[in-house]
Amino acid sequence: MGLVEKGKLPKPLAKLLNVSRKYSIWAYQWGLACCAIEMGAAFASPRYDVMRLGVIPFPASPRQADLVVIAGTVTDKLAPAVVRLYEQMPDPKYVISMGSCANCGGPYWDSYSVTKGVDQLIPVDVYVPGCPPRPEALLEGIILLQERIAHEDMSQRWKGEASVVG
Amino acid sequence: MTAVSDPQSVSALAAEATDNRVNLDFETEGMTLNMGPQHPATHGTLRIIAKLDGEQVISAEPVCGYMHRGYEKLTEVRTYPQINALINRIDWLGSFANEVPFILAAEKLMGVEAPPRAQWIRTILFEMSRIANISLFLGDFGLQLGGMTAGFYAFRDREWVLNQIESATGGRFHPNFDRIGGLKDDLPKGWIESSHLAMARLLAFCDEMEDLLIGNEIFQARTRGIGVIPAEVGLSYGLSGANLRASGVDWDLRRDSCPPGLVYDKADWKVWTHPDGDCFARTWVRLQETREAAKIVTQLLDTIPSGPVMAKVPRIIKVPEGEAYVATENPLGEMGYYVVSKGDLVPFRVKIRSASFNNISIVPWVARGAYVPDLISILGSLYFILGDIDR
Amino acid sequence: MSSAETETAEIEVAADEVREAVLAELKARLGDGVVDSHIRAGDDLWVRVHRDHWLDTAQAARAMGYRFFDFISAIDWLPSPFGRDMDAQEDLVVDPPAPKEPVPMTTGYAGGDTRFQVLARLYSVTHGMGITFKADLPDDDLSIATWSAVFAGANWHEREAREMFGITFVGHPNPINMYLPTDFVGHPLRKDFPLLSRRVRPWPGIVDVEPLPGGAAEEEEEES
Repeated sequence: MGLVEKGKLPKPLAKLLNVSRKYSIWAYQWGLACCAIEMGAAFASPRYDVMRLGVIPFPASPRQADLVVIAGTVTDKLAPAVVRLYEQMPDPKYVISMGSCANCGGPYWDSYSVTKGVDQLIPVDVYVPGCPPRPEALLEGIILLQERIAHEDMSQRWKGEASVVG
Repeated sequence: MTAVSDPQSVSALAAEATDNRVNLDFETEGMTLNMGPQHPATHGTLRIIAKLDGEQVISAEPVCGYMHRGYEKLTEVRTYPQINALINRIDWLGSFANEVPFILAAEKLMGVEAPPRAQWIRTILFEMSRIANISLFLGDFGLQLGGMTAGFYAFRDREWVLNQIESATGGRFHPNFDRIGGLKDDLPKGWIESSHLAMARLLAFCDEMEDLLIGNEIFQARTRGIGVIPAEVGLSYGLSGANLRASGVDWDLRRDSCPPGLVYDKADWKVWTHPDGDCFARTWVRLQETREAAKIVTQLLDTIPSGPVMAKVPRIIKVPEGEAYVATENPLGEMGYYVVSKGDLVPFRVKIRSASFNNISIVPWVARGAYVPDLISILGSLYFILGDIDR
Repeated sequence: MSSAETETAEIEVAADEVREAVLAELKARLGDGVVDSHIRAGDDLWVRVHRDHWLDTAQAARAMGYRFFDFISAIDWLPSPFGRDMDAQEDLVVDPPAPKEPVPMTTGYAGGDTRFQVLARLYSVTHGMGITFKADLPDDDLSIATWSAVFAGANWHEREAREMFGITFVGHPNPINMYLPTDFVGHPLRKDFPLLSRRVRPWPGIVDVEPLPGGAAEEEEEES
């Protein structure tokens, strides 16, 4: 219908679309290091179940994913693969950077082979601090992301404008 | 070492056949399959470049380094307690087990011995981290072969052990609990009783895994006779841990070369070996090891001596000049630290001998002639952690 | 009590004897290849061999039953010119510390007098003992024979030692980078390879260490 491109999305429709999007996130797990285990505990363990939030963690490829959780240390050798993964995801896409290695380099801040934070490569929506963050912390990060999606303006995102979260 | 069994000879013949094929110009036939750094079947960012001829692997070359964080350089600018906080991220599943050989090497150079209570608790936590590590292996191996149920059970039952480690040390993994001269703290009240309960649950979990995996005929078809490693080849590659014991070598660092500071001789346990050397043998040995670890913990819990948990060490640690190498039987294999000290606050050089590095160096040899699904079985059964390979 | 002491002395001497015997057999097999050695009683044996006898050492040790391959690496004995780099370069310009006199280079057990030393360790599953081998490399020719024909596991370890230190292993079948990207410049584990992040910013965890009440005598400032 072209409503989103023309920026004429009526508010109730936008709200409905946002709510349905935020409760049906397909999360691609880019589990690299120790945080991947906590992410696995959050996603696959019956105790910290993430599916109750509507997040299904089993997309078969990044081309079917909405959200990528970068969990673990990003090294300079791996950096091109991260960028390629991000570019393969279709819009609208979100990135959660999990753990201090992905946030800022973490305990390896002075290493010669570690990228100091994944936000040097791709734009990040939510940072989850911790080393490793508890599974509940990752779930809180996902809830924050859901709140952000709920207040999002889809036409703004379509036009590529920076989104301000109120 | 052992008589060559039928599966061994069959797989050896397949390997020789592919070797001969390689001598022709194989570049014009076959395809190159890149199991890229991100793949569900690799425990992390390991890249395998496999040259295939149809479904059979002609050569499989692992490319490492996607998780290389430069540990050995980082240890040269950190003090000993700071290194202790860093090294439990090498093998990130067997958390406490990474700290122990380093602390023991520093204690050896300083001439300090931890009090008996600390040694007991160290050994208990070491075995608990072994359980935490290998229980995930059992679940994950089932996951890779297609049986997703095992993965869920593993994550659920692992929580019992992680809860125990967390209530004692404060961290589910990366406990940073070991100190030169002892431990950071004493155990909380009621820990011993709850650990007994946790070990009972773990033994039930092992029985469950045995039902789900070992007896399953699909599992057996996919792992018996696959990836046979003869003992001599394993020794020359430096294969260690359950991988070597599954090839029939009766050697366990806990029993044969236990460094002073761990009290394995105070418990009654046995070392499990298997003569076959295939993927099934490795899984089976690890299952028995998990059971054995739970038994060790239960025995040691009943006999913890009372006393202090920390010896008298100065507040600022300066390790005297010298070199020491201490290796322990970590969940993945033999992990050792070669510490060179010049009497400073920081070590001069720390060489980290990690088990998975040697374990994976055998993949090019073992994968010749295997089929692509068998490659997954082989990788899964060799069981590596990327942090351990790449340090 | 005295019997226990003599017992431990006997045990120590006995362990010495085992390792002394191993050392004697190595010397018999290698002749003048064994340059130096060090034994820590009951613990470990270090043997420094001449560079030209490196491959013979592997074969001799293997024949003696040391068939388990532990690791090959190297040590750069140069004292680091950068120290721990706890201060940022800008702060050093403003407030330079007193210049320290250069620390002389010392080498460790069974030490030689060159900057680079190759370090290898083998273990015997049957004897339950290990030997640590070292070999000096002259500064102008960092090359040594490869062990990958004798111990298959040496292949990967030598690749790593090459990229980290710049040591050439003569005869290695596949000397490509192990860990680092192909376009990485420099050899990271050499002491004169700086950690650039530390030169640019100080360590984020520096806190002012206040003396404990009543324990001021024991306090030392923990800065570089």
